[in-house]
Amino acid sequence: MGAVLVLTPVIIASWPAITAAVAGAASAMGLMVSQSVKESVKQSQSTTEQSVEVELSESEVLAESMATDQQIVLTKGTIQLCVKRDERGRCSVCAKGIGHSEAELKQTAEEFTQKLTQCFVYNRVMGELKNKDFQVVNEEVMEDESIRIHVRRWMD
Amino acid sequence: MAQHDVEITISKTGEVKVHIKGAKGKACLVYSKWLSGLVGKVKDQQLTSEHYEPEIKARIDLEQNLGIDE
Repeated sequence: MGAVLVLTPVIIASWPAITAAVAGAASAMGLMVSQSVKESVKQSQSTTEQSVEVELSESEVLAESMATDQQIVLTKGTIQLCVKRDERGRCSVCAKGIGHSEAELKQTAEEFTQKLTQCFVYNRVMGELKNKDFQVVNEEVMEDESIRIHVRRWMD
Repeated sequence: MAQHDVEITISKTGEVKVHIKGAKGKACLVYSKWLSGLVGKVKDQQLTSEHYEPEIKARIDLEQNLGIDE
């Protein structure tokens, strides 16, 4: 008992913190990090290549922590995902690939943004719980892919 | 000593559900405030019967411990 609350995550972080979450999400989804600089994207672009961009609406990448044009490129098969900071300072994920429909690319980008958000929240929460000396009683990944963390502390 | 348990569930979309147990009185609100500052916006909050029980110890200690400015 006590209280039950539901929180909608807001991602306001430095680029290194976003990068850590991207790495976690990429690993969970079997994506390979191909390059972390923009030059890598300057590849040949076929006219049949589809491209879809999904924005993390509740996000802000702290500009001072990020060099211009910095981004992370991930690949899975023939789909390429590009994580970057857009003009408004929000984090966005662009999916593209030859031979994939727009719907397919959008679904992949949305799945990745969800996983990225989950990883970001996990990293943030666990880091802070450790800072505040909480004892982790249990931690598990549930069937519905949610992460359940049970922590405890003792107060005088 | 009072045992405070916090169960945090991060859904696959990143939404967070928190269940605070053992924190009586306004102490559970201190946890709520701390966690919402950490994660994001409060979408829903329900106080359970424990919230209305008397606090064993002043919540000031807890606020200082979690680094919350009242």
